[in-house]
Amino acid sequence: MSSSFTLFWRQKKALAGLVIILSLCLMALFAPLIAPGDPSARVGRSHQAPTVEHYFGTTKMGRDVYSQFVWGARPSLAVGFATGLAITALGTVVGLVAGYFGGRTDATLDLLTNAVLVIPNIPLLILLASFAGTVGPWAIMAIIALTSWPWGARMTRSQTLALRNREFIVAARMVGEPGWRIIFVEILPNLAPLIGINIVGSIIYAIVAQTTLEYLGFGDPLSVTWGTMLYNAQNSSAIILRAWWDIGAPAAGIALTGLGLALINFTFDEIANPQLRSGPALSRWLRLNRLRRRELGAAQ
Amino acid sequence: MRLSPRRLAVYCVAFLFAILVNFAVPRLMPGSPVDSMIAQLGPRATPAAIEAIRARFGAIEKPVLEQFVDYVVGLAHFDLGVSVKYYPQTVTEVLGRALGWTAFLVVTAIVFSLCIGVSLGAIAAWRRGGRFDTIITPFSVVMIAVPPVIIALATLFFFGVTLRLLPVGYAYDPNLDPGLNFTFFGSVFLHAVMPVLTLSPYLIGEFQTTMRSSMISVLGEDYVTMGRAKGLTETAVMFSYAARNAMLPVMTNVALMLGAVFGGSIVTEIVFNYPGLGLTLYTASVARDYPMIQGQLLLMTLATLGANLLVDIIYGIVDPRVRESAA
Repeated sequence: MSSSFTLFWRQKKALAGLVIILSLCLMALFAPLIAPGDPSARVGRSHQAPTVEHYFGTTKMGRDVYSQFVWGARPSLAVGFATGLAITALGTVVGLVAGYFGGRTDATLDLLTNAVLVIPNIPLLILLASFAGTVGPWAIMAIIALTSWPWGARMTRSQTLALRNREFIVAARMVGEPGWRIIFVEILPNLAPLIGINIVGSIIYAIVAQTTLEYLGFGDPLSVTWGTMLYNAQNSSAIILRAWWDIGAPAAGIALTGLGLALINFTFDEIANPQLRSGPALSRWLRLNRLRRRELGAAQ
Repeated sequence: MRLSPRRLAVYCVAFLFAILVNFAVPRLMPGSPVDSMIAQLGPRATPAAIEAIRARFGAIEKPVLEQFVDYVVGLAHFDLGVSVKYYPQTVTEVLGRALGWTAFLVVTAIVFSLCIGVSLGAIAAWRRGGRFDTIITPFSVVMIAVPPVIIALATLFFFGVTLRLLPVGYAYDPNLDPGLNFTFFGSVFLHAVMPVLTLSPYLIGEFQTTMRSSMISVLGEDYVTMGRAKGLTETAVMFSYAARNAMLPVMTNVALMLGAVFGGSIVTEIVFNYPGLGLTLYTASVARDYPMIQGQLLLMTLATLGANLLVDIIYGIVDPRVRESAA
């Protein structure tokens, strides 16, 4: 465990990702200090370009884009992170139960998992959201979580299947530990890297889905989030009017979050899957191999 | 070539699930959508249309089971209901018109990205840890994490509005008559460039990472060593020995990702005003045209299931191991 921790720290990519995500979180946390005042207040003329007064310019409605950007990080990140956790929790529980109990339970859950997996997510989301009318952040979270758990469930199930017949699990079963205890105390800790990948990947997915839904106008139009900022900018034809700051600010926020999370996930992936590593250790191994091959060539 | 009953069961359950969602959601939601739809039809609402909408959304005195049977029988006759927005056209008619454009866009993007992504993945795995790998692979991972909305808006802004290189909006020049001539095809091509470029980064990233990890495990196989031992050139071993087999997991991924590609194409079509399924879904959702939204979900589910089935069949043909075990 400690070796994977040092590996994690050694990775510059993961560090860069962490720095990006942490600074965005800090910005969201300290929004009242960084951008005091109501982000929905009219403070200037329509579509003013960035100035010292309004760092990121103003929107069509004359609202300060900088202030909206800072405050919009709050719901966007909160919903993204909470949804990612919910997706992971659902997927992990389904995968663990299916993999550990096997038999008919597994057959049923696996069937369900694969079925939900092939149903196109975004159209399903749009259907649910449009019947629900405008949906608040928590409804968006519930809808996304209920439709996107299968990826995690599938990964967790196959890992659990590989673990369930290992000696320490068999021993626990023979001692008479109850099923839930074996699942959560014996198996779960062994899945830590997998759960890490799952959480980060799910947060990425949740942010993509949330942005899409809000951009399509299913978000609460009165709330200030990066997604609704995009929606409002699109509706005020900011692109055609070349008000790039109006679209650019929320787009940069979302893209930065995606970038940070992707960098972190990349490293998680390498920890869980040593085969995929491409760091210094790997190039040393490759160099060795090449050397060996050259010697082989010389011998021939 | 036989399909396992297990896979077929998955497809049946998935399709049934989509039908059930369509049937149940409007009946469970508070506040009947029926009244709002009838109100939207306004003076165009004939008693027959009102009756049809009532029957479809459960605002009639009939046991639920009987309603469900009626609903499924209707679906079996391709009856997806009447569009509220485009009344009196049926949902099947409207979707049929849009389907071609989306299929064109999605297939072009997938083929384009497959060529690029697979090559990049193969090369990255071959020179694992090299400079190419350490730049391209993280880049791919980042591409997967950026929502298509952002890429679409950025493409539109740079190539369409600022540089004015490419036409903005619609599938072809509206001044042209659709016909089998070069001007028309050229216009269709030019209008498809930006949407395809928007859909591609996510796909390329996804194909590159899948191909890379699959190729890495294939490179350890004996037949690759065998190819090297035979004294074949590096490229021959890379493409005819390793990459050919490493392609298989990528193919499965294509089918599974089709759902996500539809999601991306919805946003892309809206941004570029492209007259496909996504734009139809958007206008339908703005107008709360429920039958249209439901039809879309069914159609897209059906397309994804069809693609998965196709991949299962191709897999059986391409991979001798699967072929042997089925026989």
